[in-house]
Amino acid sequence: MVIRIAAVGDVHLDEDVVGRFRPALEQLPGHADVLLLAGDLTRHGTEAEARCVAREFGGLGVPVVTVLGNHDHQCDQVPEVIGVLEEAGMTVLEGTGLVLDTPGGRLGIAGAKGFGGGFAGRCASEFGEPEMKAFVRTTSTIADRLGATLRELDCDTRVALTHYAPVPDTLAGEPLEIYPFLGSYLLGQAIDSADTALAIHGHAHAGSERGTTPGGVRVRNVAHPVIKQAYSIFHLGDHLDAGEVSTAGAGGISQPWS
Amino acid sequence: MTSSAHGGGPPDEYVEAEIHRLLTENPEIAEQGITVVRREHSLVLQGEVESPHRRDEILRQVAERFPGIPLTTDIGVIRTQAPTEIEQLP
Repeated sequence: MVIRIAAVGDVHLDEDVVGRFRPALEQLPGHADVLLLAGDLTRHGTEAEARCVAREFGGLGVPVVTVLGNHDHQCDQVPEVIGVLEEAGMTVLEGTGLVLDTPGGRLGIAGAKGFGGGFAGRCASEFGEPEMKAFVRTTSTIADRLGATLRELDCDTRVALTHYAPVPDTLAGEPLEIYPFLGSYLLGQAIDSADTALAIHGHAHAGSERGTTPGGVRVRNVAHPVIKQAYSIFHLGDHLDAGEVSTAGAGGISQPWS
Repeated sequence: MTSSAHGGGPPDEYVEAEIHRLLTENPEIAEQGITVVRREHSLVLQGEVESPHRRDEILRQVAERFPGIPLTTDIGVIRTQAPTEIEQLP
């Protein structure tokens, strides 16, 4: 059996964007078991912008699971933003997880915004000024909770959802100098601490789609400017042929094995 | 700090930095994905945004804040069509 995951990040909604994604989103039922949103749902993280997200991504007929991104924190209205999203039926994860029963099995999703710090050998350390220690500690605390949540999920298939990147692979295309602001190896280490099937993230608009953690977990950057479509769809399943990608269908999303 | 430091000549590195921060920190723009490339006689703004309104606003705000700087822009609006392919992950 196959678990079908749709995902997009960095949609940055406000009034001027409402309606642009909806026609594609309405095709989701029948094609995906869940829609994952990889943070930066809004431009400034206001309650009004969250209402735009609720209008665009609410009532889709598939469960919507999201983490917040740095933009969603800009106006310090995180509780209000979460309230609006939850009112619209979405699940907002931050160091938490959930298990969905799908026709392909029990899908466990652990999510967290994540934070920066950089990647192995070129990362910030918890040393020196209090501001520096706080920066690194923020990431390590988030990563520890993400790892614990992943390991505790009672499910058949585990997926990790973050805004910040867990590996540098999917940052290819971004300036090297800003990698420490785009993600942290600590997130990758957390993902590798459990039997994770797929890690989804956003944030890196100029990055690239595909990578793997040092432990071999597939990583996908679904930032909207990277995927250049309303969402991507991934099929997870043991019986699928490695590397096979479906063919394009003129009538929309095609299912290659049918 | 003002943008007049470039004195009508080619845009300097500080102006480039100032525009880059403006693109993120100006609440009317709030874009982190726009690249500012310094060429010999102009600054080039490249990237993608979620609506035509946002592209127009970037041009308006930058031109208003730095009226003496020749700008070239190549900013697209990201497509939102449904995918035509599925990635299979065994």
